[in-house]
Amino acid sequence: MAAADSPSAALRRRDLCSRGIRLAGKMRADVVDLLDAYVEQQGLDASASVAAVEGVPLAAVERWDEQTGTQRLLENLAAYRAFRALLAQMLEEQREQLGEADAGLGRALAAVLLQVSAFAYHLEELLRLESRGIPGEEEDGPPPPPRLSRFEQKLRGLGVLRELAHWAVRSERQLAKPSPASGAAPGLAESP
Amino acid sequence: MWKNSSLRCLLALAILCLRSLIYSQEIGSLGDPQNLKCVTHNLQKMLCTWDVSSRGRRGQTDFCYTTNDLTPQVCFKTKERRVEIPIPESSITVTIKSSGTATKEFVIHQKDISFVPITPHILSLMPDFPTSTLNLKWSDNGSVFPYGLDALWQIQILRKEPMEVVTQVTYYSKLTHEDVILSWNWTSDMPLECTSHYVKIRCYINATQFVGSKDWSDWSPTEVIPGKDTEPGESGVFPLDPVVAVGSDLTFCCVHEEDQRITNMTYGSKSYTMMQLSSRSHAIRVLNANVSNSSGTNVVCRLENAWEGSVVFVGYAPDTPQNLSCETPNFLIIKCTWKPGRPSGLYGERRTKYSLFERTSGRNVSCEVSGLNKDHVCDFPVLPAQKTYDFILGVSNPIGQAKSSLLVDITQRVHPKTPEKLTVTENNSTSIQLRWFINGSFAEIRLLCQLEISSSHSERKLQNVSTPGRKSSTYTAQVNELHPHTKYQFRVRCSDADHFWRWSDWSRGVEQTTSEAPPARGPDIWRERSPSGENVIVFWKPLSPSESNGIIVSHEVSCYLLDMLLEHKVVLEPSNSTEIKLGKSDCVISVVARNNAGSSPPSRITSVELPSDNVTTDQAVAVGNGINISWDSYPNMTCGYIVKWCHSSGSEPCSVDWQKFPSNTTSVVIKSALFKPGVRYNFSLYGCKSMGYQLLKNVTGYMKELPPKTAPNFIVEETSSDSILVKWEDIPIEECRGFFKRISSFLCKGEKDALKPRLSESGNPELKVNNITDLTKKSMKILDLQGKTSYQLELQAYTAGGLSPPNSLYVVTKEDSVGLIIAILIPVAVVVLLGVLASIFCYRKREWIKETFYPEIPNPENSKALQFQRNICEGNKTLKTLEMNPCTPNSVEVVETQSTAPKIEDTEMMSPAAETTVPEDGSESEMENHVVVSYCPPIIEEEISNPPTDEPGGSSQVVYIDIQSMYQPQIKPEEEPEIDLVTTAGYKPQMQLSISALKIEGHSPVEEELDKTAGYRPQANTNAWNMGTPDSPGSVESNNENASFGSPCSINSRQFLLPPKDDEDSPKPINTAWSFTHFFQNKPND
Repeated sequence: MAAADSPSAALRRRDLCSRGIRLAGKMRADVVDLLDAYVEQQGLDASASVAAVEGVPLAAVERWDEQTGTQRLLENLAAYRAFRALLAQMLEEQREQLGEADAGLGRALAAVLLQVSAFAYHLEELLRLESRGIPGEEEDGPPPPPRLSRFEQKLRGLGVLRELAHWAVRSERQLAKPSPASGAAPGLAESP
Repeated sequence: MWKNSSLRCLLALAILCLRSLIYSQEIGSLGDPQNLKCVTHNLQKMLCTWDVSSRGRRGQTDFCYTTNDLTPQVCFKTKERRVEIPIPESSITVTIKSSGTATKEFVIHQKDISFVPITPHILSLMPDFPTSTLNLKWSDNGSVFPYGLDALWQIQILRKEPMEVVTQVTYYSKLTHEDVILSWNWTSDMPLECTSHYVKIRCYINATQFVGSKDWSDWSPTEVIPGKDTEPGESGVFPLDPVVAVGSDLTFCCVHEEDQRITNMTYGSKSYTMMQLSSRSHAIRVLNANVSNSSGTNVVCRLENAWEGSVVFVGYAPDTPQNLSCETPNFLIIKCTWKPGRPSGLYGERRTKYSLFERTSGRNVSCEVSGLNKDHVCDFPVLPAQKTYDFILGVSNPIGQAKSSLLVDITQRVHPKTPEKLTVTENNSTSIQLRWFINGSFAEIRLLCQLEISSSHSERKLQNVSTPGRKSSTYTAQVNELHPHTKYQFRVRCSDADHFWRWSDWSRGVEQTTSEAPPARGPDIWRERSPSGENVIVFWKPLSPSESNGIIVSHEVSCYLLDMLLEHKVVLEPSNSTEIKLGKSDCVISVVARNNAGSSPPSRITSVELPSDNVTTDQAVAVGNGINISWDSYPNMTCGYIVKWCHSSGSEPCSVDWQKFPSNTTSVVIKSALFKPGVRYNFSLYGCKSMGYQLLKNVTGYMKELPPKTAPNFIVEETSSDSILVKWEDIPIEECRGFFKRISSFLCKGEKDALKPRLSESGNPELKVNNITDLTKKSMKILDLQGKTSYQLELQAYTAGGLSPPNSLYVVTKEDSVGLIIAILIPVAVVVLLGVLASIFCYRKREWIKETFYPEIPNPENSKALQFQRNICEGNKTLKTLEMNPCTPNSVEVVETQSTAPKIEDTEMMSPAAETTVPEDGSESEMENHVVVSYCPPIIEEEISNPPTDEPGGSSQVVYIDIQSMYQPQIKPEEEPEIDLVTTAGYKPQMQLSISALKIEGHSPVEEELDKTAGYRPQANTNAWNMGTPDSPGSVESNNENASFGSPCSINSRQFLLPPKDDEDSPKPINTAWSFTHFFQNKPND
């Protein structure tokens, strides 16, 4: 804990964590709402089984509470960066497919995208506080996804939103729960 | 006919031989070449084949043919048993000689040759998966034929496992002596991905000149388009994301792995029955598809562990654009607008797209339209030196396309942009200059601009200005004839002056207030002498805004007598009158209005008022919205007439108003917004002469008559026993609210406290109504009333507007004093007269009286008194109560019913218990406390102890239940204390009672004498009893209201000794006092 020595750094960390918890909670609530609207608007079934979508990070990682705080931060950051790209792609597809129709769904998507970006930035701030290097984003970005059918796009969107909702829950918990290394401080903020 | 069988055999043999000759001119024997057959594929050469025996198959064959005798025979050697030779025009002779065999000659006719086209070959079979279309290409091999021919191509399409023919079509073509690649498209009702599709083709050439037999060619080799179900690892729902028209019938298939099981297939939310296409493909069919929502309709194939799907977009082909219109706002761009018509139901990349194509220039512009249902707009650049544009608006979406065209000369379709930067500059109080800017290149046209001028005082005015157009320039216009000191709003719009098409939008409005100018005219003036006659009051009306040309600050009033200024006053606003001290003299009054810009021309009027006589006052009520005033023509009124009126509201001073009329007027309608209904206005008509004004007529008028606010206040000035005199006051003018028509009085008997409706509405038949139409009368006498009676009197006033609320009071008429006096004097006079007569009689007969009544030695036998007593006792059998037989002295016995009562021997004894313990319930007193007072001697008592049943009349008992208040109707008040002593003592001895009764009733001395000796008397005043005796059978059982249970009664008479308390017929003390006056009244119930 390089920055743990400084009281101001601890204060800053605590502040970032509490804001991060609020942000994750708000994001979770909005994603759940968006998920409902998405399922209805796309004519899907809420029980639709969606296979793991390529490029969508999975939240359900076994024994995640055994990870160190920094590992968790890095994993979260990678996930939200991926979600940011996926949501931007969804938004673009939405504009392509619907144009001016159903602008409400597009606005809701854009709002969640903004929250994901903000949360990713928030995670970067926490990592900076840990004096850890922030992994750089691939400049070229991820390789362009294969051309999907419209139905596959719909399912992928459903998968992205579902997984994002899971990630929001996970991030909220991880920010609130102490890591095994510290036992007291917020889990994401702890270093090994 | 055929009798001989041998003949039949011969004939059959001959036919066989003949046929043999026709089909194959075989010459030779067995082992020689035979069965020569010739088939042509191109109608130019034919391929002839024959059979030979095994002996002749080895070695070469000499083959020769000749078509006729003129051409030399063509021979060649061949090792095969087939040769290609030309088709003869009619026949050909062929000789074939194989080694080791004899030469065989055949004659072949054209009709023996078969024509079978060459088997076609499919050049290509191309699938278009999105449209489920197959494209088939093949060559017609037309070059092989010597001339053009009609060709038929039969194409067969098959699918499924095992193969089923889906369709078989015949395709027609013309062979043109060239090889032509033919193409044919077929759209499958099932996506080509769903399963493999097979295609084959064959040909038939309709060679009409060829006489031989013609036949279809063989089927071409089958070409196949493999379905996705043949590709390993392929899965999905097909077609993929199709866009189809509403109402289409759709087939969707689900391709899956062989070992996967389909749970179901749904279209939207509905599950459909599946049909198996192959082991890896199943399909559903959806009929008449409805328009889908914006995100499309999902087709989902639910497999055991996965979902496959496709999204179908069902919409409409684009509608033809409506109301296409193109115009230029600035000669830089052409703006085309149209209405899109029915929405396609397709969005995003499938949306309807528009393009504008101009045919003259060949320029195409793609239109980006936004909005779902609004007018669509597309801009096209103005091309140099091109005035006429031929536009085609193309519309397309994945389902279809449409177009609309328009030919337009843009110089006639100018819709300028909205003028900007409008400013206003004032020139003077009636003129301004407007400047505005229009963005655009209008150098080639003239602009027509319209200026809108509006103010609160005048109607909106439009002024057109035509000006040469310029390139992005400022334009100006002058606006004159404005009114001074007026706030104006200006705005401007423009159009093409030469070819009007449309006005631009109005520019933003600007405001400008013009400066002030001197008032346009002098004020309208009038004058009146003050009530004292010493002063003249000058009135003027305010000038209208259009006349004042500014804010009037003051009025200057001058008074001239022969050009000599007598007085000059400046009256500041807002006064509209002033008073000039003039005395008895007159002058010419001049009034000038002033504002900040100057003075108005003066208005003049003379103060002279000419004398007038016979001035009448008329009444007028408004008809319509004004009061009509008319008069006879006065020829000497040279300068017109003036109607002056005055209206005041309540306490405010009278406000003078007037109107001037030319001298030929004889009738006017005075209108004013200030006129109110129910308010009296006084109009005065003045005639104008050169010398002055003369009052001609007065008119009192109402705008509308209303019911009076109140009824007249009135008093009853005089009251007599049969009449009243009513006087009333005038109603104040403000409360009249109309011209009085009459005053009505309503009179009816009534007490003050009684709650009664309005008399006029009561419908009382006794209601006396008097209408006074002579409104000068202020009093009224109402006669024929009853004396000493309360009357209710109401007064109401009527106008044409209705009835006022009533004003009422109560009045009681006086007693009739003459009748009262007569009623008193007559009995007194009679009594006095009788007394005098009796005195005279007694005086004259005093000796006889003394002899008779007071002899010195009295003789009992001669006593008349005793005789009288005996007569009563013996003769009057009916009056049991007075029966004195055996005329023994009375004794009174009080009998207790439950205990043996002590005998009461003293007749004056009374029972205290009977007085003090009087229960309310009479029955209880009867049982417990009643006292039997016996008036009979002991012999009678014996009869009581053995009560007779048949002769109740034998008993002389009186049963007193209650003797508390003996009825005393005739007792005078001053005698009451004495009587009380008697009446409150319970039982009274009969003698006392008779004395009291005598005092009251004033019996004659004879009767008085009789009563003194009568002994027992009935307990009640029988004279007052009107009813029949209770002895009568009817009265015993009757339910008479007078029955008074608990009242004391005589056993013998059974007559109630006390009258019932609520007996209406019984006289009451107060009514006794009234008896005299009532005696003189006409009506008994009064």
